[in-house]
Amino acid sequence: MKKILLLLTVLLFTISCGKKETGDSEKKDQTLTFYAGLQEDHAAMVAKEFEKETGIKTNFVRMSSGEVLARLKAEKNNMSASVWYGGPVDAFVAAKEADLIEPYISPEAANIKDGLKDTEGYWTGIYVGYLGFVGNQKMLDEKGLKMPASWADLLKPEYKGEIVVAHPGSSGTAYTMLATLVQLMGEDEAMEYLKKFNGQVRQYTKSGTAPGRMAGQGETTIGITFLHDAIKYKKEGYKDIVISAPSEGTGYEIGGVALLKNGPDQEAAKKFIDWVLTKKVQEMGKTVGSFQFLTNKDAMPPAEADPIKDTKLIKYDFDWAGKNRIRLVERFSTETSTTAPTK
Amino acid sequence: MNNLKLKIDQELKHMKKLTNDPTLFLTIIFSLVVVSFFVLVPLYNVLKESFTFKETFSFENYKNAFGRSGNVAIILNTLKLGFITATLSLIIGFFFAYSTSYMKIKGKKIFDFIAMLPIISPPFVVALSAILLFGRQGLITRGLLGITDFEIYGFHGLVLVQVLSFFPIAYLMLVGLLQGIDPSVEEASRDLGASKLKVFTSVTFPLVIPGIANAFLLVFIQSIADFANPVVIGGNFTTIAVKIYQEGIGNFQLGIATALAMILLSMSISMFVVQRFYINKKSYITVTGKVSRARDLVKDKIVTIPVFITLISLTMFVILMYILIPIGSFVKLWGINYTPTLDHYKYIFDYGMDPIIQTTVLAVIATIITSIFSMILAFLIVRKKFIGKTFIEFTTIMALAIPGTIIGLGYVISYNITYKIPFTDITLIPPLTGTALIIVIAFIIRSLPVGVRSGMSSLQQIDPSIEEAASILGASSSKVFSSVTIPMIKEAFFSGLIYSFARSMTLVSTIIFLISAKWKLLTPTVMDNIDTGRIGIASAYCTILIIIVTTVMITMKIFISKIGVKK
Repeated sequence: MKKILLLLTVLLFTISCGKKETGDSEKKDQTLTFYAGLQEDHAAMVAKEFEKETGIKTNFVRMSSGEVLARLKAEKNNMSASVWYGGPVDAFVAAKEADLIEPYISPEAANIKDGLKDTEGYWTGIYVGYLGFVGNQKMLDEKGLKMPASWADLLKPEYKGEIVVAHPGSSGTAYTMLATLVQLMGEDEAMEYLKKFNGQVRQYTKSGTAPGRMAGQGETTIGITFLHDAIKYKKEGYKDIVISAPSEGTGYEIGGVALLKNGPDQEAAKKFIDWVLTKKVQEMGKTVGSFQFLTNKDAMPPAEADPIKDTKLIKYDFDWAGKNRIRLVERFSTETSTTAPTK
Repeated sequence: MNNLKLKIDQELKHMKKLTNDPTLFLTIIFSLVVVSFFVLVPLYNVLKESFTFKETFSFENYKNAFGRSGNVAIILNTLKLGFITATLSLIIGFFFAYSTSYMKIKGKKIFDFIAMLPIISPPFVVALSAILLFGRQGLITRGLLGITDFEIYGFHGLVLVQVLSFFPIAYLMLVGLLQGIDPSVEEASRDLGASKLKVFTSVTFPLVIPGIANAFLLVFIQSIADFANPVVIGGNFTTIAVKIYQEGIGNFQLGIATALAMILLSMSISMFVVQRFYINKKSYITVTGKVSRARDLVKDKIVTIPVFITLISLTMFVILMYILIPIGSFVKLWGINYTPTLDHYKYIFDYGMDPIIQTTVLAVIATIITSIFSMILAFLIVRKKFIGKTFIEFTTIMALAIPGTIIGLGYVISYNITYKIPFTDITLIPPLTGTALIIVIAFIIRSLPVGVRSGMSSLQQIDPSIEEAASILGASSSKVFSSVTIPMIKEAFFSGLIYSFARSMTLVSTIIFLISAKWKLLTPTVMDNIDTGRIGIASAYCTILIIIVTTVMITMKIFISKIGVKK
């Protein structure tokens, strides 16, 4: 009798303990929780440094931007994080539309270049990256292929089954590609292009950085990704990596940071946003291999990004891209599914 | 009519007895509440959501799910995968089981050992190894054979990986069955002049057909519910479980996600029902538990040597799959640079310890609760009569057949809101998403069915008269349970402990929906690293995971033998 009562008490206690614990940690001021849309090692380094410098206990979880967006929608009434850090701002615009983020103009934003921050202060840019092609020279040589130099090249029969790209449904990188093509070609032509392109694709990955890695590893001949990610992999030892940018012009991303609506610990969150916009923190990125261009006027871009600074860019409309995200992704999924991979 | 009345009377009598024993009564109520709240409510919400479109009842989601030809292909993909994986796993499992029970072959222990590997290792290990071995830079494909464009991502790779992970289940089921066949049956037919082949086809094989069907359906259910392998190695071959995640979490299309979830659920539940209520009843083997004497094993070298070689090569292959991971965690860049390094571990120690610590802590908590709770449930089901007993039994066991992704999706939909006691302002359950509690609950619900089953089967083997004796001598039912029943089922209790710990540590499908910034878990971290191509770090995490699970397992085994519950 006693024993079983004891068991039940333990059970109940453990359960109520669990509840209390979560309640407590929310009450404790000076903790910060953020969703990271940039690479895991970059986010981990930033979290650690911020904690070291301010004493604010910092948690993060890395997710692709589609996942962050979905999570924010699901948690709308019970937001568990307070900052969204990194990842293309198209997704931030979509979040703004859905009333999931709130404006915060950091004092530090004055040093951020014009055009790289939202005029209403919903998001602020932390870096800029160019979309492009990444190839594996060894694989190209073996197959007697040249590195593709344009969007049109990608449809050539010799590249069939050699291309890896992320899926726009889950990856901000891939959505940047989708939005770039639509802005470049017009929507219907872009969809026609993508339907054909679908037949060339070896695999759609979940995360936008994966194609770069896979090209580096020789798991695929060609990947589509942000070029700074490709540079990172090359630096890590994937020596066969080569990069190129489409001659028609390419899209780019502004990586953003934003304050989540009704998130806990707003004060710590604002402190964090101020801090990540500084020259010092922006320049810290390159220590973990993040070679994007920086948005702070005073920050020195990493030397590694130098070779791509003259890439031909389209006039990418972030606002439009963000507002049309759901619709375009939906259309992409439906139209490419009509030629769904049957293997 | 009279019958019904009699039945009601009986039930009322049981009820009365229960109220005399408040502890028992409370335990039953508690169990009913837990099971309903964390198995049925999420399922109900998934079902409800799947029929809700723009806040009204509608078939729209199903129309969308079937209307898109992509989804139809995905549904067919999933079925095809299930059938082929189950068939191949069965063939290999049967081969292993038959050879070890009917032939004089050494190394039975090794074969039993590989049957355990899939339980203690995270589900990605085989998939990850397959990439290391058969990817474009794979050791075998490229290194050994010089093939440059072998495709491991996709259906073939997935089947390979699933068969290697699931055939041990078939082996374990069949080996027990084959060893349970009384040799005298076969000898009788031999004496009547049947050839060995004839004995096999007309005696042995028919006897194990129900077992084969069982194994087939079990592997089938596992295969279609599998999330980790398709996501890692499926390539463009998408299965329903993966699609549910993509739609639910990637796109926040809950309608389509839930409709697909219901399709998957109906597949696996129907298989489960067939297995449990049709095939299980058709068992031809009279299980007395003991065979009359040892079987004369086949000693003929012409047979045993080739069989042995095949078994050993298959075994070596499986072991190779598992050994590659630790190796992969100590080299710089697989396929490019094989310089030994500790970099990946250094990264984990610098930045990535949270998932390891948090997962272990939560798994330990969940394990303790699961083991106790499942023994209580098993005791109630086997020994007590009460209203709702069949309900508890069916729901807990059925939880086996519910794919993890569906539980995860159900939890996301169900526990993001506050539940209040009707007509009051008292919070019954606060929003649970993002908390550790929801993860612990998910761990418990996922390993409960097996705990309950093992508890039930060991209880069924114990004569209730022992407990009755205690009860007649005046012990209350909690006293009987704690001082008579529990000591008798200790072994099931501890094996349940080990199992639920391993299962919680390696669970992917459910918790992928439940992780948050505060609670990062190991398996999603591994998956993320695989997806972004950090194979070295992923391998290092897997290695640490395997070490933790094995250490806990060995410690438990030593502990059990020390306190002398081992037979």
